[in-house]
Amino acid sequence: MTDTLTRSPARARVRSSGAALPALAGLEMRKSLSTRSGKSLAVASVVLAPVATALAATTADAIGSAAGPIGAMGMFTALVLLSLGVVSTAGEWSHRTVQTTFLLVPQRGRVLAAKAVAVAALGAMFAAVSAALSAGVLAVALQGLSWDAAPRALAVVVAAGAVFAVIGAGVGAALGNTPAALTSLYLVLLAVMPVLATFEPEIASKVNPSEAVMNLSQGHLTTTSVLILSGWVLVTLAAGAVMTRRRPVQ
Amino acid sequence: MITVSGLTKQYGARTVVDDVSFTLAPGTVTGFLGPNGAGKTTTMRMITGLVPATSGSALVDGCRYASLPNPGAVLGTLLDASAVHPGRTGRRHLRLLADTIGVAPARVDEVLELVGLTSAARRRIGGYSLGMRQRLGIAGALLADPQVLMFDEPANGLDPEGIRWMRDLLRGHAARGGTVLLSSHLLGEVEHTVDRLLVIGAGRIVADGSVAELLGSDGTVVRAVDRAGLARSLEAAGFSVRSGDDGALLVSGTDPSQVGAVAAAGGHALIDLRPVERGLEDLFFQLTEASS
Repeated sequence: MTDTLTRSPARARVRSSGAALPALAGLEMRKSLSTRSGKSLAVASVVLAPVATALAATTADAIGSAAGPIGAMGMFTALVLLSLGVVSTAGEWSHRTVQTTFLLVPQRGRVLAAKAVAVAALGAMFAAVSAALSAGVLAVALQGLSWDAAPRALAVVVAAGAVFAVIGAGVGAALGNTPAALTSLYLVLLAVMPVLATFEPEIASKVNPSEAVMNLSQGHLTTTSVLILSGWVLVTLAAGAVMTRRRPVQ
Repeated sequence: MITVSGLTKQYGARTVVDDVSFTLAPGTVTGFLGPNGAGKTTTMRMITGLVPATSGSALVDGCRYASLPNPGAVLGTLLDASAVHPGRTGRRHLRLLADTIGVAPARVDEVLELVGLTSAARRRIGGYSLGMRQRLGIAGALLADPQVLMFDEPANGLDPEGIRWMRDLLRGHAARGGTVLLSSHLLGEVEHTVDRLLVIGAGRIVADGSVAELLGSDGTVVRAVDRAGLARSLEAAGFSVRSGDDGALLVSGTDPSQVGAVAAAGGHALIDLRPVERGLEDLFFQLTEASS
């Protein structure tokens, strides 16, 4: 009786090896979008920039090129996607779901790599949709805009979406606490960097990722900007990897 | 299937798990018993690599847990039933686990049925009771139908019917050759489920044996209509008799058949005759005093 009550007659068929990295990344994408916070962030990242573009377009004076507003609004999207990255890593520690994640995939570096790939893909995708909508709003609302530099700005915005989501994932993994990671990231990007830009513009121009995105979208300081963004990705992911490996799952 | 050797965990100067060793054989249910804070959970976390061991080793199926190609297929673990995202539905949670382990989605519905959560499967876990979360955790551990099950305090939050269900589940698993380790701080939750008890106190294994061996009779409790008369007969037969609660007599170093024989020979009418059962608490005190 116990048998029939508690078990299926045939043993469950199970894969003998671990999941491949692309499959894990796909799972992480599904995980990110399976919660209310994840869905809200996804919607916000897509919708906020076009809405803000529409509002700005109604009050705009003369805007010469579409690249400027596309880059600026894309930065807005990237800041939202930062949270998506944070929630994907730090959220697991805050909700303690990291326990199940590491029980099934004990190679913590692989988990972080999968998360980085997942949020990069989601970030790029949402940034692309958002930027396309913003461009549509601009096209409808403003006549006589120059679209010459727009493709470049769109490409940079898509990349920035991926980069900022990965930075969020790295810092989230390093701190293992959602409120702490969000607070420190937004504090650094929205308070420390502007203050630095005011008092030490030389230093700020070498470390500020938002400024790097704006410069890239307008075709300025390409090498420096790429280096700044790569530095942020590498440093935050490395910190995330080290802390993820060290932190015991209590 | 699980071999633990000299497993030790120190936090600074504090040793929370101290040289723990045991081997769990297929076909058995082992109860890992000890008071809260004795080191049960830390030991289980070290077995699965969630907490690094200071020294010693733990092998599952001959491998370190982290070296298993697909660990969820070998060891089904329930450590903390509340470590789930409250915003996901039970079914969504299990689907994500199933896809990570690599089992067919249909298995999710099977395990939901198995743990009795089919009707709650599409509700958010945030609205689940502790007992439902335990069942969901057990469902997750059973997804790949693994050979070894390791549950930490699975009876927490389960009602008596749930505890009975879990007993059938774990006994059935062992009967089919599976290996089970389950922890508890309450003997009553596990004594009818386990074959073997590993008792841990202050980080050390203080006893390892069958339930009967560890908690078996240490004397006889007897009640008679003529209490004083029976006491005299027992003393005359050379037994040591003490007064117990409610007019009972405690006869140490005997089993009920010897006491019954004395009573029959003396013509005493008995109201109650049974072995003295040692409680887990008594056992703990006895064992920890002996080891200190």
